[in-house]
Amino acid sequence: MTLTKLENPFTFKRALVVNVVKEAPDTNTYIIKLNEPYTANPGQFNMIYVYGLGEIPISLSNLPEHRGTYTLVNHTIRIVGAVTRAVMLHVGAGSQVGVRGPYGNGWPMREIEGRDIVIVAGGIGMAPLRPVIKYIENHRERYGRVNILYGARNPELLLYKYELNKYTVIPNTNLLLSSDIPAEGWLHYVGFVTDLINYVDVDLKNAIALVCGPEIMMKVAIKNLLKKGFKNEDIFISMERRMRCGIGVCGTCQFGHYFICKDGPVFRYSDIEEYFWVEGI
Amino acid sequence: MIKVPKLQQVKLYAGKLSDLERVMEYLRQRFNGVTFMGYKLQNSMPVFGEINSLSDMPIRVSDIQRPGYYELVAGYRFRLSYASPKWYLLPPEHSILKVSPDYEFVDSTNNSLANKVVMFGIKSCDLNAIAVLDAILIGKHPIYTKKRSSVIAIIIEECLEPAETCFCSITGTGPTVLRGYDLAYARLDEDIVIFKAGSTLGEEIIKAAGLREAVQEQVKSYYNAVERAMSIMSTRLPHLEEIQKALRRNVINEKLWKTLSEKCTGCGNCNYVCPTCFCVEIVDRVEESYTTRTALWTACRTYTYGLVAGGHFRRDLYMRYKHFILHKFLFYPKQTGGLLGCVGCGRCTTWCPLGLDLKETLVKVVEEVR
Repeated sequence: MTLTKLENPFTFKRALVVNVVKEAPDTNTYIIKLNEPYTANPGQFNMIYVYGLGEIPISLSNLPEHRGTYTLVNHTIRIVGAVTRAVMLHVGAGSQVGVRGPYGNGWPMREIEGRDIVIVAGGIGMAPLRPVIKYIENHRERYGRVNILYGARNPELLLYKYELNKYTVIPNTNLLLSSDIPAEGWLHYVGFVTDLINYVDVDLKNAIALVCGPEIMMKVAIKNLLKKGFKNEDIFISMERRMRCGIGVCGTCQFGHYFICKDGPVFRYSDIEEYFWVEGI
Repeated sequence: MIKVPKLQQVKLYAGKLSDLERVMEYLRQRFNGVTFMGYKLQNSMPVFGEINSLSDMPIRVSDIQRPGYYELVAGYRFRLSYASPKWYLLPPEHSILKVSPDYEFVDSTNNSLANKVVMFGIKSCDLNAIAVLDAILIGKHPIYTKKRSSVIAIIIEECLEPAETCFCSITGTGPTVLRGYDLAYARLDEDIVIFKAGSTLGEEIIKAAGLREAVQEQVKSYYNAVERAMSIMSTRLPHLEEIQKALRRNVINEKLWKTLSEKCTGCGNCNYVCPTCFCVEIVDRVEESYTTRTALWTACRTYTYGLVAGGHFRRDLYMRYKHFILHKFLFYPKQTGGLLGCVGCGRCTTWCPLGLDLKETLVKVVEEVR
């Protein structure tokens, strides 16, 4: 048996947090400087390491920005556990973190060229879809009509509020926002973001859907998309699980026979249909 | 059924127990500084580790295995220990990285690893388990890859009598070996040992040890024993295809899995003793001037498997109980390019503190669709 010499895949890049943007009461976007050229596809993720605590898988929430010898990457992080809490409490502009990646497959940006795109995002699920919007904006001629459906429990929890309006000036792009509950001054839809699927005007023969959000929201989104007439193979979802390695060796992100970290996190619905409705698989 | 003609293409040699010592001696001369790894007795307890001589090996004991039960008695039919080659290749706890507080790597190499290892006397089930681990980890997991590449030769001991918990003939992983080994031997009785070569190194060893070709009678009794072992095991479970078909049809059968997992406590011992289970948790062990990123075996049957800060992807025990079974029989083949994740060693049953029998679960799943 021949074995190639293996570099340690767990080593990370030392990186500096250069800016922090407050998105919601429990959510920040961290702009991190990597001292090297770095590229990632929309929908891929990095493992972010905090000394003494551990690593968390966080998707890139913007396209990597190349600035000569270094690269800026964005990560939008909400407090859910120990590491994210540590990030929120102790990591600010000037802090160091470890970054390794990018991992996962990302959204099929090549494959969906020429198609009408419906983006369905719930809450923090907007983070991995934001680079899709930016990518489409940069390559507008490659894609058809774009519908962005984005909702949160309440308007305060919507991310990227400072730029959402700018999405409406991208040619041939429609933005529909929702809040689960009524709120003062809220002029958009009140109800679940998945309800908005009914209001989308698309050519079903040529449309694909990209979905990310809490698992329950994705389930309803898929039901509604199928009801609307989308085909199984035209729906893509980005999933999450307990992840420790990012490279398919720790086994903790298994979903059926898939490793979410390397076979996903983006899946074509028709590829995971047999598992998607099975609880705890 | 056993394909005897195929097996008989391999030339068999006969020797005595003491010839194993000569095999070791030859390997010592051939590979300077070699370390032998295998099942051994340590304070009369079987473990997996470094063997210095034949006397370290469990050659004068037999194991009695039943669900939740293991005992050693005088004999010459040692099957296996709770520990498998996984203990060496992917240790229960291994450092993957050392980091200083300013995010510098302290020392990401581990030079203390042995660089020439011979797996000595491991069983066919465990050889197949190594192939499974290879398919998942090699070239990806740094520690596994390094340790696996240190293995320069594999010497197999074939079982001629299965333990009560064994079913390797069902999973197609034993008791005889067909490929992936250098030398294999089987104990015909207390002293007579049958040898066969699986590589040119194996042929070299047989020649160097001066082994004679087995006589007709020995060949016959070897194949008879293999056939007997296989037929004993074949009655213990339905055919693999039938098991897999039944599992596929019951993936979503919540009621069935709840019933099957009623006596499971979710302790994870089955995972730890399983020679193909590879899941690890990665934690930080902070010391004075650095932290060690440490991989620890984790177990899909324990509560934390699937637990995330924001919720739980495998909340109920039945979900985790099911995952173990589905992974072994349905998912591994898709992850490894066709290798079954269960090698029929029966360890999960023997070392289940409550004596849950994997075979019983499989039989019940098959009965559900009959």
